[in-house]
Order: sequence, then C-alpha cells, then structure tokens
Amino acid sequence: MKIDIQKIAEGEESIVIRYIEPNPAVDRIVGILSGQGGRLWGKADGQRVSIEPAAILYLESVDDAVFAYTADKVLRMEGSLSSFMSEWADESFFRCSKSMVININRVASLKSLSSNRIDATMEGGEHIIISRRYASEFRRILKGER
Amino acid sequence: MKEEKKITLWERYLTREIGIEFKACLYFFAFLFFYCVWRMICGSFEASILHMGEMIVCCYLIGYVQVYAFGNFDEAESLKLREGAGMLICTAIYGAVSYFCGWFEGKLMVTLCFAAYILLTYLCVFLIYRTKRRIDDKKLNEELKIFQTEHRK
Repeated sequence: MKIDIQKIAEGEESIVIRYIEPNPAVDRIVGILSGQGGRLWGKADGQRVSIEPAAILYLESVDDAVFAYTADKVLRMEGSLSSFMSEWADESFFRCSKSMVININRVASLKSLSSNRIDATMEGGEHIIISRRYASEFRRILKGER
Repeated sequence: MKEEKKITLWERYLTREIGIEFKACLYFFAFLFFYCVWRMICGSFEASILHMGEMIVCCYLIGYVQVYAFGNFDEAESLKLREGAGMLICTAIYGAVSYFCGWFEGKLMVTLCFAAYILLTYLCVFLIYRTKRRIDDKKLNEELKIFQTEHRK
C-alpha cells in the first residue's frame, strides 16, 4: 500500500483513504481513525458491520472463508484463523481444532470426554469439541501456565 | 500464537498402543485374581504358567477388538447398544477361550461365573472412568470460572 503524507501550512487536517475493494487493513485503519480500533469488520446479510471481539463466541473456517459467530449475528470475515490469532493476540481466544477458534470468556461450561477430549458448551448453547491435540494446551491456559 | 507441534502418526499409534497395553495389564490382573481364587478353592496353591501366558495374550488381542471394533466401550460416555454388544461379545470370547484352553478344567459353571465376573469388571472399569471424568469436569469448570474472572474486561 502506497502511503502519501503531506505537510500543510494551514487549513484543516484531513485523511483520504483510497481503496479498490474493502479489506481488513483498510477496515482497521478506518476503525482506528474513528475511535473503533478494537473492532472487527465483516459482512452480515450483505452489509459491512463491525463487532467487538469480546462479543464473538467462536470463529469457524469453512473452505476459504472465516465466519465469526456472536449471540445474534454471523459475520463472514476476510483472512484466515491464523491471521486472526496473530492479529488479535488475546489469551481469551483459543484455537481448539484445525478449523475453529473459541472465545474462552464466552464458554458456559466444560465437560471432560474420553480420550482426553473436552466438550465446550458456548453461551449460545453450541457444543464445540476440543480435540486431544489441543486439550492439553487448553488445560494449561486455564491454569494460567501459557 | 505459538505454532502447534503436530502429533505424528507414530505418536498417535504409540498413544493408542500404550492404551491397549494398559488395558491388557488391567484385565489380566483382574482375571488372574479370579483364576487364583479358583485354584485355591480347588485346594491348589500353584498356577499354570501356560494359562497365565494364554490369559495375557488373550487380554492383549481382545484389547484390540475393544478399541478398534467396539469404540473403546469401557471408556465410553454412556453404555448404548454398541457398547453393550461389545461387552457381551468380548465376554463371550474370553469365556470360550477359558473353556477351550481349560483354565477352569472345562467346568461350565465356573466358566459362566468367570463370564459374569468379566462383565462386572467391565462395568466397574466403565464406572471408574466415568467418575474420573466427572471429577475432571468439576476441576475444569472451576478453572474456567477463575480464568473468566481474571480475563473479562
């Protein structure tokens, strides 16, 4: 992305953003400028909307798309689960399988399953299985050992 | 986020293999106890090494049947048709092997008692694993509440 910064002697300070298609980088810049730097952008019902990350129950990767589920919305987001995890380096989000990330703060209860798996019931009532591969790391996070 | 270390196929196989060997040991000792009690009732304080060898091999092979054919029924969440069928079929195999290998001198009544004992052992192991998971549930949920209290903004 080309960055053009101009110093002006007088007049009102302004920022012009030029983009071909909306993308996560532009969304974040707009979010920061409008005082909503901590919000996530995506599409819901064909419209671009933003949500607080804390409102997300879980994220799911289906084919090449990432969907964020809140209590009442499903947002289709740009990027991948890995890019989400690196951008939002928040301990509350946990990669619980290849295709899912859960918000630990929105887990209603946990159930231990056989073969060291864990069944996480989200606040919306969805059951998400934390596979054996990820369960040990999950237990460490809950204990504050990460 | 840290890059997760992938579990290799070898490690996955090894984990399952250790689980089967653990099962073999567990059931072998349970059946050996029954066998020794039977021997003592018969007035003998000696056990046949051949019978013990047959028992451990049998426990090991049926461990595979349990895990691969019947979905590891003794560690199952609940006892349903598949698990119940698994328990009965494995018990029947143990009973048949004990009868034909003469562990109880071919006595049908003792073989039937042995089959009932196997079913009881399966049920106990199932209940032990379930109780262990219930305790783990409590611990997990306590830790979850603490985590959420510390991390909720």
